Amino acid sequence: MRIALGIRAQLLLVLTVFLALPWLGYEYVRELERFLRDAQQQALAGTAQAVATALHDRPRLFATPADPIASFARDRVDESSGDGHLPPPASPEIAQIVQGLSRTTARIWVIDRSGVVLARAGSLKRPEAASDRAAGWQGFVQAATHPLYRLMLEQPTEDFADDAVTEGSPRGRDVEGALSGILTTDRRKTGDGRAVIVSAAHPVWLGDQVRGAVIVEETGNRVLAERNRAFERLFNIVLAALLLGSVALTLFASRLSARIRRLRDDAERAIDAQGRVRAQLASSDAGDEIGDLSRSFASVLARLVDYASYQEKMASRLSHELRTPVAVVRSSLENLKAAPLSDDARVYIERAQGGLDRLTAILARMTEATRLEQALKDAERERFDAAAVVAGCVDGYRLAFPQVAIALALPEAPVPLAGAPELFAQMLDKLFANAMEFSTGGAVEIRLARDDATAVLSVANEGPLLPAGMEDRLFDSMVSVRDRGGAGAPHLGLGLYIVRLVAQFHGGNAIAANRVAPAGVVVTVTLPLAED
Amino acid sequence: MSRRIALVEDEPALRANVADALSRQGYDVATYAAREDALRAFRTRLPDLALIDIGLADDVDGGFALCRELRALSATVPIIFLSARDSDFDIVAGLRLGADDYLTKDTSLPHLAARISALFRRSDLVNAPPSTEDVIRRGPLELDTKRYAVRWNGTRIELTLTEFWMVHALARFPGHVKDRDSLMRDARIVVDDSTITSHVKRIRRKFQAIDPAFDCIATVYGVGYRWGAE
Repeated sequence: MRIALGIRAQLLLVLTVFLALPWLGYEYVRELERFLRDAQQQALAGTAQAVATALHDRPRLFATPADPIASFARDRVDESSGDGHLPPPASPEIAQIVQGLSRTTARIWVIDRSGVVLARAGSLKRPEAASDRAAGWQGFVQAATHPLYRLMLEQPTEDFADDAVTEGSPRGRDVEGALSGILTTDRRKTGDGRAVIVSAAHPVWLGDQVRGAVIVEETGNRVLAERNRAFERLFNIVLAALLLGSVALTLFASRLSARIRRLRDDAERAIDAQGRVRAQLASSDAGDEIGDLSRSFASVLARLVDYASYQEKMASRLSHELRTPVAVVRSSLENLKAAPLSDDARVYIERAQGGLDRLTAILARMTEATRLEQALKDAERERFDAAAVVAGCVDGYRLAFPQVAIALALPEAPVPLAGAPELFAQMLDKLFANAMEFSTGGAVEIRLARDDATAVLSVANEGPLLPAGMEDRLFDSMVSVRDRGGAGAPHLGLGLYIVRLVAQFHGGNAIAANRVAPAGVVVTVTLPLAED
Repeated sequence: MSRRIALVEDEPALRANVADALSRQGYDVATYAAREDALRAFRTRLPDLALIDIGLADDVDGGFALCRELRALSATVPIIFLSARDSDFDIVAGLRLGADDYLTKDTSLPHLAARISALFRRSDLVNAPPSTEDVIRRGPLELDTKRYAVRWNGTRIELTLTEFWMVHALARFPGHVKDRDSLMRDARIVVDDSTITSHVKRIRRKFQAIDPAFDCIATVYGVGYRWGAE
C-alpha cells in the first residue's frame, strides 16, 4: 500500500534526521564527564600525595597508642560534623595536620599499616544546595524541561549510605594498594548504589617502609552535577533550534503546498469534463519553479485553446479553400452543357453534376457551424415561447417528411426562453435530422417539458446505441460515432456541435444518452427559462 | 452594340469559364487578373457592368478597394461581387460599398446570367415611366417587376436583386409559406439556411428603417417564411 504524504509531512519526516543532534550532544557530554572524572581523580591523588608528604618520615606520629578516653571526648565533637558515629581517630597530632589540609568536599583518612584509623577530616556529604531557581523565561524553561531531564539523567544526591561511616574505616581497593606502597585511585558505588565515591590513597613512608596511608575520598556528585548542567544547556539549545526549524519548515511547506494546491485547482477548473478549456489560467509571475510550472500550464492551455479553435475552424477553412476549385469544375460543366454534345457525353456530365452537387452540399454544411458562430456573436436576444416554435417546427417536419412518425409532447403552459427563436429552431432541426438519420424505425419522440426554472427539450429515436464514453464528444466539431451502415447524405458530425453552440447561447447544455427500451439514443437539451 | 462586362478574377480557369459563358450570352467580356490592371482600364473606359472577386491573388480585400474606386468613377455602373467568401460580414461590407449584389462562387452560370440581364434591365428602365401592369400591390407594398423597384407607402426601398426576388416570391402569394429551398430557387441563389435567415433579417431591417412597425415577413419555424397580409 502506498501512503500518501503531503509535502509538509515529508519535510517533517526529513527533519527527524536532525534528532541525531541531541544524541551527538549526549555523546559529547559523556566525553566531558569522563574528562571531569579523570581530573577529579588526579586532584584527589594530588591531595593524598600532599597530605602523605606532610606525614613522611615522622615515626613519632605513628607511634602513639590509641587512647580510648581521649577518643571518646573527640567522638562527641565529631557527632556534630555529620558523619555520624565514626570511631575516634587514634592520633590527635595527625588529626591536627590533616585538619589543616582538608577540603570542604573531600574526606581525608590517615590509617596505619594495620588499617587502624589514625586521623580523619572533612565530610563526604555536603549540605543540599538550595536549588537555584531562575526567574522569568529561564525559570519557565527550567520548570518545563527539568522533569524530563530528571527522567533521563542520573541526579546527584546527598542521601546515600556511607559504608565507611558504618564500618569505621575506608573500604576502597585503593587502601590495599597504598599499604603495599603504590599510589592507587579507586571508584566505587556506595552500598546502596545511590552515589559514587572516588578515592585516592597514598602510602606514608618511613624510610623505605610503608607506615600507613592517606586516603582522600570524594563523591562523584560534583562531576555528575557539572555533567547534568552541560547536558541540560546543550539540550535546551538543540531543542529550541529543532522547534524553531520545524516551525519554519512547516510554514514553508504549507506555503509551497498551498501554492501547488491552488495551481492544481486552477488547472482542474480550467478544463471541463469534456476536455474543453473553459477559462484561461492566470499565470503566476513568481520566479521559482512553481511559478514556472504555472506559466507552462498556462501556455499549454493556451495552445490547447488554439488547437481546439483550429479544429473547429478547420471545416470552414477547408470549405473555403475548396470553393474556388469546385466553382471551376461547376462552371466548366455548365459551359460544356452549353456546347453540342453526344448523348453519351451528356450522361457523364449529369453524373459529374450530381457528384458536384453533393460536394457543394458538403461544403455548405461544413461552413454552417462557422456561420452559426458568427450569427451567435451578434444575435439579438428576445423573449419567445419555445412551445410555439417546437409546435411550428414539428408541423413543418410532418409536411416535409410524411414517412417519419413523430410523437410530440408539449407542456400546457408556455415555455418562455430568452434567445433567438430562429436559432432555437435551427437547433431543433439538427436534433430532428440527427434522430431521423439514425432511426431504425419507430417514432421520433420530441418532448418539451418545463419546471419552475428550466425547459427540457429531448429528442429520442430508436436505433444504434452510442459507444460508451463517447456521449460527450458527440457535441464536438466533426465527431460522428454512430455507424449508419449506409450511404446517403454525408454525415460530418457537425449537427450536434451546432446543437451545443445554440444550447450554450441560451445558457444551457446538451447531453446524449442511451435509452434502454426501446433501444436508442435520447439527446436532451436543458435551458434556463427567461426571467419575468 | 453589345454590352461590356468587366470580369476581375484571379483564378484563370474560373475567369475563362465565366468569360466564355457570358460571351455566349452576347456580352463583350474584358477580363482582368489584378486590381491595378482593372482600374487602369476603368479609367480609360467604364464597363457597363463589373463582376469582381474580393480576394485578388495576395490582395485579400482587393475587390473591396476596386469596388470603392469604381463607385467613385461612376455612381451607376452595376457592380456584382463574386466571391468564395460567404460570411455575413463580407456580404454586408460589400453591399455597403455600393455593390448591387453579392454572389458566392456556388452560383451557377445560368443564375449569374439571369442576374446580369436583370441588372441591365433595371438600369435601362430606371428612367422610363412605370406601367401599371408590371406592378404588384400588396397593401402599402408596391413591387415593380420590370424595374426591380420596391416601394413601401410610396417610399422607395433599395434592395439588391437577391432581396428583391425574395420579397417578390413571398409577396406574390400572401399567406402562403415559402420554404427556404423555394426561396433560394426564386432568388436564384444556392446558399445554406442560415444565409437565407440573414437575408430575411436584412430585408426586414430595410423595411423597418422606413416603417418601424413593419412585420409583414413572418417566420414559420421549421419551414420558412410567409408574407403576412397585415
